[in-house]
Amino acid sequence: MTDDSPRPQLLRADHLTRHFKIGGALSRRTLHAVDDVSFAIGEREIVALAGESGSGKSTIARMLARVYKPTSGEVFFEGKPLSSMTSRQGRLRYSALVPMVFQDPFSSINPVFRVQHGVLRCLKLHRPSLSAAQRLEEAARVFEVVGLNPNMLQRFPYELSGGQRQRVGFAQALAMRPKLILADEPVSMLDVSIRIGLLNLMAKLRDEEGVSILYITHDIASARYVADRLIVMYAGQIAETGPIEDVLTHPRHPYTQLLLSAVPDPRAPLSVAAETDRGEPPRVIDPTPGCRFRWRCPLAIDTCAQVTPELAELRPAHEAACHVAQTSSEEVKAFT
Amino acid sequence: MAMPVSGVPTETPATQAPDLGSGRTLGRFGRAVRLNRKATVGSVLLLIFILIALFPGVIAHDSPTQDAYTPQLGVSTAHLLGTNHYGQDLFAQLVYGTRNVLIIAFVVGLATTTIAVLIGVAAAYLGGLADSSLNVLTDVLLVIPIFPLLIVIAAYAHGGTTLVLIAAITLTSWSYTARQLRSQALTLRRRDFLEAARVRGERSLYIIVVELIPTMTSLLVASFLTNALYAVLFASSLQFIGLGDPNTVSWGTTLYWAQNNAALQTGQPLWAIAPGACIAVLGAAFALLNYAFDEIGNPALRPVRKVRQRKGTEQRAGK
Amino acid sequence: MLEVSGLTVDYILDQGNVRAVDDVSFTVGRGEFLGIVGESGCGKSTLLFAAAQLLAPPATVAAGTVTFDGTNLVGLTDDQLCAMRWRDMSVVMQSAMNALNPVTSIGAQFKDAMRAHGKFTSEEIAARSAEVLKMVGIDPVHLRSYPHQLSGGMRQRSMIAMAMLFTPDLIIMDEPTSALDVVAQRSLMVQIKELQLEFGFAVIFVTHDMSLISHFSDRLMVMYAGQVAEIGATKKIFDRPLHPYTQGLLEAFPSIRGPRVPLKGIPGNPPDLSRVPAGCRFRPRCPYAIEKCAVIAPDLYPHDGTLVRCLRREDGSLAS
Repeated sequence: MTDDSPRPQLLRADHLTRHFKIGGALSRRTLHAVDDVSFAIGEREIVALAGESGSGKSTIARMLARVYKPTSGEVFFEGKPLSSMTSRQGRLRYSALVPMVFQDPFSSINPVFRVQHGVLRCLKLHRPSLSAAQRLEEAARVFEVVGLNPNMLQRFPYELSGGQRQRVGFAQALAMRPKLILADEPVSMLDVSIRIGLLNLMAKLRDEEGVSILYITHDIASARYVADRLIVMYAGQIAETGPIEDVLTHPRHPYTQLLLSAVPDPRAPLSVAAETDRGEPPRVIDPTPGCRFRWRCPLAIDTCAQVTPELAELRPAHEAACHVAQTSSEEVKAFT
Repeated sequence: MAMPVSGVPTETPATQAPDLGSGRTLGRFGRAVRLNRKATVGSVLLLIFILIALFPGVIAHDSPTQDAYTPQLGVSTAHLLGTNHYGQDLFAQLVYGTRNVLIIAFVVGLATTTIAVLIGVAAAYLGGLADSSLNVLTDVLLVIPIFPLLIVIAAYAHGGTTLVLIAAITLTSWSYTARQLRSQALTLRRRDFLEAARVRGERSLYIIVVELIPTMTSLLVASFLTNALYAVLFASSLQFIGLGDPNTVSWGTTLYWAQNNAALQTGQPLWAIAPGACIAVLGAAFALLNYAFDEIGNPALRPVRKVRQRKGTEQRAGK
Repeated sequence: MLEVSGLTVDYILDQGNVRAVDDVSFTVGRGEFLGIVGESGCGKSTLLFAAAQLLAPPATVAAGTVTFDGTNLVGLTDDQLCAMRWRDMSVVMQSAMNALNPVTSIGAQFKDAMRAHGKFTSEEIAARSAEVLKMVGIDPVHLRSYPHQLSGGMRQRSMIAMAMLFTPDLIIMDEPTSALDVVAQRSLMVQIKELQLEFGFAVIFVTHDMSLISHFSDRLMVMYAGQVAEIGATKKIFDRPLHPYTQGLLEAFPSIRGPRVPLKGIPGNPPDLSRVPAGCRFRPRCPYAIEKCAVIAPDLYPHDGTLVRCLRREDGSLAS
């Protein structure tokens, strides 16, 4: 059940699971942040990981960045499992190849140092063969690639706008010559007119620098603008995945349909279907088997309460985890 | 490219004003000190005391210990504050005593803050078992009342020298600051730039020292000033009750001798009041600087300047 | 009902004054839904706070009036304002997490609000609190809940319920949906609109997300760099945006339907308000700027029912 992407595989997540113990020391309750998630990312592609808060998308990013260890499951990078990377050298190499760009432009850069600090540290740690002068040159080069004037290297973060700071984040990642950038909601805290610039930058990094990007977002429209493939997450599991145009024009999972109907689009008339749903994504604590979307799903049947649905291919390269969608021969519409 | 103005509350979350000095920031800092009245007064006072401590001979022409003068003289041009019971010049005593007081203040301030930083910030960043054990250590010392403990230590050290005083005050004062710094570090720990440092592969020690602590400078400065202030008060108090070395020249010991000789009752009020006033003024200098740093670091605390409101009659031509 | 005229707000800073809101005028009629749209630094939140008389130093109203039901609010004392606050006008803040007291229950906060603005018995308070919670679709049992026990959407709804305790004539909302996910956002917007139609209060809704408000507001005001760039009927503005900034903003939203086209956004950054450029403030980023735009600062110019601050619209040289 691995996600089949036509490009050579860069990273593969295999049955990733992450649980957190919650409550006090005596509590036995577990929060299922991520449950049995498998997907792959190829070279030179942008994969969008979309979902609401609590869907587990940030947790997945942090597992890929090795901030959390998976409770079970494995991540393979270039064929090698992450759990076998125990040496400092191996870990350093991985953090250069798979860096992370953070969401909040106002807290992701240390306010005390000049903006060049982070980039230079990245270069010092991961490309030790460079001399100090070469490091400065390289810093200037990556700044230009991300669209920043190299004389901004000397500035302090408070002098930069939010959009510029996010570009600095990408510059830091680029300086390490990555293969895959984990971008955790990089534009959600930016003004709308600035977002496009950053999204264009991400596309440029894919096309010109050959970098893959895992773009984590809750904004499907921006995902459509920039991504090649889409993974929709709900309550810690993958609901639907496939080429982005296909998923958005033929959404199979009722949750995807709900999301699409709720996206504000001034050019289209107001969709009525989403009104009844209050947008209360679940916190998954000690879940029972069955589809986690069934309480909000107008199409739920008996099986949905008993058997947890698994991803199955419904269209070429397009999978959805929904009993009703899998057993029905024609397209089901839960939310128009 | 237009730059956003810092200090204007825009819709975006407020950025922290840079705390650590650089050429440009020191310049801003100097300006801030000049503009803030509390900072100016505080720094001027402190500067005066530092100068007195550095060049006592320039200001007081007599030796503080020489008891050659006529005792119990009043105020005169020869003896600005008169002489004490032993015939020593009071003014000289205070001037030469400044050095002892300031040394205690700065060394204790520095030492306390350093220990507090190491323990408090490490506890916050490392978390888990390290945090718990360091917390136990901090809390135990926090709960014990400082002054009685100081008395016990100083008494045990048999009338300690200045070094003993410094050590005793440092050992009993660091825990409060450690607590404060730990709390601050806890809130900063989740900042993305620390996580970013971790994700790019930095080691923990580097992150704590290079990335985290510099962002806490305003709290560190405040801790230093507070601890310096309390060091002055505690040291003088200990000397006053006789637990310092009565032969050192210091404000507290002057008070001790004044008390021993019932200065107030025998018509030598200046002997008791003058050192007390010095302690108060130095303390005020530290306190003013403390408030001023708060205001400089946090614009919301600044006093509001009265603005004359022009009610609705502004006509701007051509707009 | 609410008339803001020539409102100007300055921030008095050490480095010099910054004019965050420059000569802004608009009206809100009874039962009207006015959307105020703009990005960071445009002054919309400052404007809101000024209108609600909630400005704190160093911000101060330098000029202008805010007339509510005939009374100018600028210059009233706190006591005078208290009489009309919450009864005639209430405010919903941006982040319920920050606006709700985390250590008291929702019911206790409702009680505080009611006690602050009138004399009521405990039964009356309890009854009204339950009533407003039901209005926003929350089970009244949550009066005993603490804010952290509620989801983001529910917290936001309880803020709105609190604002409705006295069924005011005007509710001012400062980006109440920005912290919510898209489905919760949609649901909340629909709820607000329904309540508005049922109880007939006016709404001023500040947001940075133009597309969100497109289906809900009657009139729209677009702000840029402290000034009104365009103001008029929502539908008119969306069908035919006149100001280049409004155009750029509308085009900056990638759509999920229709063809995938590369977009440009609006290059550059908003101006530094402490050093406002001469002429039109949008000129450095405007694709249609001509020479006189750098020299003459445009006024609001009426154009087919909409007011727009653009010289090229004024002289008709910009074809739509």
